[in-house]
Amino acid sequence: MKKISRRDKLKIYGDLLMILNDQSKTEKIILTQVQVRMGVPFDRLKNYILELAELGMIEEETSLKLTEKGKQYLSEYAKVLDFMKRMGLAYQ
Amino acid sequence: MYDPTIRTVVEVVSAILCFILLRFMIKPYKLTGEGRYLGLPLGFGFLGVSYVIGAIAFAQTFLPNRELAYIQLFSRTFAYCFLVVTYYFSKKPSENSRIKWDITLSLLIVALTASIVVAIIIPQFAVDSYQAAQVYVRIFNIICLIYISIHTLRSHIKKPDQTTILIPFGFILLGTSQYSLLIWAIDESIFAFNGALVLRLAALAIFLFVSYLTFNYSKQRSSK
Repeated sequence: MKKISRRDKLKIYGDLLMILNDQSKTEKIILTQVQVRMGVPFDRLKNYILELAELGMIEEETSLKLTEKGKQYLSEYAKVLDFMKRMGLAYQ
Repeated sequence: MYDPTIRTVVEVVSAILCFILLRFMIKPYKLTGEGRYLGLPLGFGFLGVSYVIGAIAFAQTFLPNRELAYIQLFSRTFAYCFLVVTYYFSKKPSENSRIKWDITLSLLIVALTASIVVAIIIPQFAVDSYQAAQVYVRIFNIICLIYISIHTLRSHIKKPDQTTILIPFGFILLGTSQYSLLIWAIDESIFAFNGALVLRLAALAIFLFVSYLTFNYSKQRSSK
């Protein structure tokens, strides 16, 4: 099985936090919808969510939601992506 | 009229701008951990170093210290090379291109060290052909900047946005600045020389404005 490197995970975490943040604004987070937007198998998505919870970036009360740390990471991630876009650099 | 004091001041201001930009340019690498984005801080870092060396080399007289002049010439060229390879590899995220990036970066560092060592160890080469070297190097710099300008313009055309046009404009100004320096190197036109300094400062100011707009302005906006 292909090992996921640190850099790939950073992007996955960023994208996942972005989706979770988007969904938490409008409705209760439904994991199958998150899975479709992320394009990863469900078991892997559950693992990422567990990892983000361990890192203190999300928490589960009535539904999943971003913690202050998660919001800070997401804000920095979005700014760097925006900067790269403005600089004409692709991040795939 | 050529004024070494004005030139030194412009070199120092350019160096300060580059070192401030370095703080922003390292962020993509720090966030993604991708080696291919390392060329961005390296490029602006080397540009800053070249301006510091330029300030020292050209501070006293019209005829600068030739070894220092060579070092600033080469470090500036390699700064543009680092930027070119960053833009080239930014489109290619595969594992294979990561190895190619590592090899390219190593080769660039070896070439930079070798060219500086040759210019210092063989002073006859440095003294006799600085004028010619300056012309060739500036042509090479212009080619690098044309590549970066086209790359950034293409990105802008793909997803047009008023904020993404500034960076290609900045690189075009840097390229025009190199072209003016080329004219100055050939026919010693002082107007071309002064124009080059102004264009360079304008380009660096644009890069700084875009960086500030992205990181600091959005920080203030989100805290409100």
